[in-house]
Amino acid sequence: MKYQSQSVAKLYFIAAIGLFVGQILFGLVMGLQYVVGDFLFPEIPFNVARMVHTNLLIVWLLFGFMGSAYYLVPEEAERELVAPWLAKLMFWIFLAAGAATIVGYLLLSYSDLAKLTQDDLLPTMGREFLEQPTITKLGIVVVALAFLFSIGMTILKGRKTVVNLVLLIGLTGLAVFFLFSFYNPENLVLDKYYWWWVVHLWVEGVWELILGSILAFILIKTTGVDREVIEKWLYVIIAMTLITGLIGTGHHYYWIGTPAFWQWWGSIFSAMEPIPFFMMTIFAFNMVNRRRRNHPNKAAVLWALGTAVMAFLGAGVWGFLHTLAPVNYYTHGTQITAAHGHMAFYGAYVMIVLAMISYAMPMLRGRRAANSPRSQVLEMWSFWLMTVSMVFITLFLTGAGILQTYLQRYSDQPLDFMTVQDKISLFYWLRELAGAVFLIGLVIYVVSFFAGTDEPEVAEKVEVDA
Amino acid sequence: MPSSMNDERPGTRLAILAEGLYLANLLLIPGIAFLVLLALWRRHRDAPPLARSHLQQTLSASLWAGMLLIVANAMILLLGGYHGPYTWAIAITYFTMAHSTLILFGMIGLVRALAGQCWRYPLIGRPLPPDCPQ
Repeated sequence: MKYQSQSVAKLYFIAAIGLFVGQILFGLVMGLQYVVGDFLFPEIPFNVARMVHTNLLIVWLLFGFMGSAYYLVPEEAERELVAPWLAKLMFWIFLAAGAATIVGYLLLSYSDLAKLTQDDLLPTMGREFLEQPTITKLGIVVVALAFLFSIGMTILKGRKTVVNLVLLIGLTGLAVFFLFSFYNPENLVLDKYYWWWVVHLWVEGVWELILGSILAFILIKTTGVDREVIEKWLYVIIAMTLITGLIGTGHHYYWIGTPAFWQWWGSIFSAMEPIPFFMMTIFAFNMVNRRRRNHPNKAAVLWALGTAVMAFLGAGVWGFLHTLAPVNYYTHGTQITAAHGHMAFYGAYVMIVLAMISYAMPMLRGRRAANSPRSQVLEMWSFWLMTVSMVFITLFLTGAGILQTYLQRYSDQPLDFMTVQDKISLFYWLRELAGAVFLIGLVIYVVSFFAGTDEPEVAEKVEVDA
Repeated sequence: MPSSMNDERPGTRLAILAEGLYLANLLLIPGIAFLVLLALWRRHRDAPPLARSHLQQTLSASLWAGMLLIVANAMILLLGGYHGPYTWAIAITYFTMAHSTLILFGMIGLVRALAGQCWRYPLIGRPLPPDCPQ
């Protein structure tokens, strides 16, 4: 660790991992509720389990992005972080607000939570993924502003690189687009129109900038390839991300009451959305293939390569699968969406945060560059268990989604929703099984932090050009 | 280990073109890109080992891709019946998996070509000649 203030990242990473475990546990509860409808009812109804599962995902990824920024920015800017005390204070505020919100979801009915938090003063609750009480949303804004101040001032006072500037643009976009969660018009079409400005422009817009910059940082550090080469790739990738992703928002506007031209715009631009992910995969493998050093942290390199591949598959291929308007007419909101969502979030965002944690944590815990071989072997086992089980989760949900589409929407004699749910229950059982394997992988991941802590790390080998 | 970025091995550009055409055949212009690849393969029989190897690998992989994506899917539809929901569940899932895997192979092939290295496509690639730089 080059700068003392980078240590604040450790807090954020620990919280991220803890919340990740919570997210997966609720995912398993919900997965079981698909096939055993009254499992844990009325203590944890399905809608609450789903809300906790998705909200925990968003919150822990935000912790992960913030931790990554607090680690990455001082090193790129070549100076200590501005106001590290603020970063620590905001961590505790964010954690307390997040925990209180989750406890609120679990202990109160949603309407009681709305009353308790005075939602009627500025109503923002009740929308998917943005279910948080208004007061929590205001807290998120305060945390985001303090975070941007700390990160932004550090970059302004220090060295400006493509990596930290792209990261700053991504993080600023994240904060700005979140403000649309406060706009809650009565017209349902307008409501959905702007709701996607948070949800889509986060995950298919500015978050991809954050992903690209973190991936570039890890590749610069672990491969020794010239920064200029990596930065040129990053420019092209983020340009393609914004060109395709911004207007690609139109693929959410097909059947919600917006003008019909969105079916063309949405189809054409979102069909191009796999391009930046395709380039990212070529980029990551190209840099590792041309590496000038064999970094001792092999687990971090594995996570980085895995991010590129799984993001291409989950966000690129599985996104394309149902993005064209004539296809989406039938598949909209089926389990095909769930298949895409699972693999895309895991590939693009979960894995990049885990890659950054894998790269940074050894230094944050006082090691020179990497964990012991025993710890890395466990971590790589967890990588394969989680990644392979996520591939199976996606495949089972895809099978379920295709059957659902056919039986419920395409067939000459369409069946009702619940009858179809019964018919695809085998896929839900298989998905649950794959989810249990994912949990085993996650447990091994956590255990890897405590394995071989007293053992030395492998020495780095510098590669000689052929 | 990799060569320096500025040193280009003989046949690197042709190798990159071969991998690009393989990917274009899968992604953008199926059939047309394959015909161009076939023409290149026939025209450059005396190309340097690097280029020859990539031409052979991509041509062979493209033929396999045709088998795996068109013939196998046609078999699934013929055996399962066009109006069977399970047939479509299997066919679409299988096609997506097989197609993605073939694209990933092509991406790695392209990366190797960019670095001036030969690469054998897993399972479907022909053995590499001994003089091929790896």
